Amino acid sequence: MKSCLPFALFLCGPLLTAQTFSQRGYLELRTSLYPQTAPNDSGQIIGEAQLRWDVSWQPKPSLKFYGSLDARTDTHQQVQREASFDWQDRTTRRPAFSLRRASIQWHRGGLTLEAGKQFIRWGKADILNPTDRFAPRDYLNVIDNDFLAVIAARSTYERKNDTVDLVYAPRFTPSRTPLLNQRWSALPVSPIPIIDRGGPIPGRGQFGARWNHIGKGYEVSAVFYDGIHHLPNFTTPLYFTVPTRIDLFRQYPTLRLYGADAAIPLRWFTLKGEAASFNNNYVIYVAQLERLVGEWTFVGGYAGEALIEKTNRLDFAPDRGFAKSFLGRAAYTIDSRRNLALEAAIRQNGKGTWLRTEYSQQLGQHWRTTASFTIIQGDMQDFLGQYKRNTHGLLAIRYSF
Amino acid sequence: MNKLITLLLVTTALHAQDVRGIIEEVQRRSHTDSQRYEGTLQVIDNKERVTTKRWTYQRIGSFGESKAVLKFIEPAEVKGIALLIFNQKDRSSDQWMWTPSLQRDRRIAMQDRSTRFFGTDFSFEDLEERDVDQFDYKLLGEEPLNGQACWKIESRPRKTKSSQYTHSHVWVRKDIYAFVQIEGFKNQTLVRRIQYSNFEKIKNIWTAKKFEVLDAARKSRTVMQLEKLEYNIPTKQEDFTLQSLRRSE
Repeated sequence: MKSCLPFALFLCGPLLTAQTFSQRGYLELRTSLYPQTAPNDSGQIIGEAQLRWDVSWQPKPSLKFYGSLDARTDTHQQVQREASFDWQDRTTRRPAFSLRRASIQWHRGGLTLEAGKQFIRWGKADILNPTDRFAPRDYLNVIDNDFLAVIAARSTYERKNDTVDLVYAPRFTPSRTPLLNQRWSALPVSPIPIIDRGGPIPGRGQFGARWNHIGKGYEVSAVFYDGIHHLPNFTTPLYFTVPTRIDLFRQYPTLRLYGADAAIPLRWFTLKGEAASFNNNYVIYVAQLERLVGEWTFVGGYAGEALIEKTNRLDFAPDRGFAKSFLGRAAYTIDSRRNLALEAAIRQNGKGTWLRTEYSQQLGQHWRTTASFTIIQGDMQDFLGQYKRNTHGLLAIRYSF
Repeated sequence: MNKLITLLLVTTALHAQDVRGIIEEVQRRSHTDSQRYEGTLQVIDNKERVTTKRWTYQRIGSFGESKAVLKFIEPAEVKGIALLIFNQKDRSSDQWMWTPSLQRDRRIAMQDRSTRFFGTDFSFEDLEERDVDQFDYKLLGEEPLNGQACWKIESRPRKTKSSQYTHSHVWVRKDIYAFVQIEGFKNQTLVRRIQYSNFEKIKNIWTAKKFEVLDAARKSRTVMQLEKLEYNIPTKQEDFTLQSLRRSE
């Protein structure tokens, strides 16, 4: 009995210091309905369940601990069936139980230090963020993705209107790419099986720096990143005879990036822009206008790409895939419980279109239901168009606590 | 005739000065260097359905040069969402929102501050501090409200201050120099009415602990009760920065 006492005290600790312990989370059930099958995926109904729990504990005003856990399951083998716990989140499928965040944060004056598994988000644009380099994503569903945390040390120094951010990530966290046997890989029908052989995860660290300045009527940042691209290139060996299978290998290229972003509130709109040069191979830029009008929020802009050097066509690059597109979002707050949103991306050559409408309603203090419908159209050669068989509807119900 | 015109002009100028003096006195009496409270908001729609929200509010500085952080603590789905407001003396405030699910701050487009704040009947503009120099004033007369003698004053935003309201009517209680009601108009149409009640003297400042906001077009209202209200608490500038939003999670 005595041996249980320290454990009980540990559990009671947060309760005793209730002012410094905070938690939130949700349980969400989602059902996606695809009217069409895909060449490599006959499934048309996917059910998913997710439990998320975020906690923070602040024993001193200058010290804070953060933790977050995810538990998931689904009907489509996107989540691992083994009930193991994954603290890295680097697997090709989603882990059933994962450590989403575990970090310690300390601050004094204008200096904030955070170490551990954490989210680091940079950039000012809303639809596409080319400067956001410490933000790998879970792209199992390419257009409805979630961010993955990175293991890093971050120091932020803020003085008056200037902020300098320095980040070092000793372990690399790649983005999770679509599974080859599922519809979001958009592979053509092939008599030869294609096998994802994975690839080595680079061991080198990544470094990033960002300076942000808030001026009178504007805000501007400059970004430098030296590390690894979280999106892989796929390579295949040379086959001199007709192969019985095709092996795909992942390779994560090194990346040196220079970028900048700005936000300028103007009389009628707020102008937000962001641009980054990737290895001097290509530049991705975004310019968007944003305005609130009554209960409406409008965001509209253009994402462009300037190619300096031609690169591998087997890249999986959703950020580039959304470039050369007109992007827009309109959201309407119907009342205190209901929201409506419409999002769209249209390629400038007209070869790909993505359109989503979403209706969401709060039920009581804890429940929210969401219904959305996504239409994807276009050519199979286009990044968006290749997913045209993935037009789908989604129903979700969430209990927040 | 000239004497009469001169007399009228002088009287009008004195009158305007007096009105401005009333507002300056309201501002002087309610001046604090910092403030903190927890607000419970009940949003009651036109079908009498009630949604409850809670937030904490913390401010440093006062009237036109203040900074504030507003953070939601209820309901669970918006818990952790925080707003940083830099009030400016000569223009609209700068505002950033921290959304935990995005783990990022976003500058909010503030060209139209009539937008309702998170489904409450407050608009973004209603959450800003207002400085006496941002408006011109006219005394409309004396009009009792809830049995209390009040001055009824018209305020019009100066050009540098973009506002959703073309003008407002403000009731100021004569005995304690405190706002008891504000009606915001767009031309001749009532847009919003804010009523202040449950006055208490906190640190020698008469403070309304209950606000009721009516959105006249939607016929919905929000009742906010202030709890744990404190003035002139030790506060640091570093708690009102973009990094503080990140730390506030």
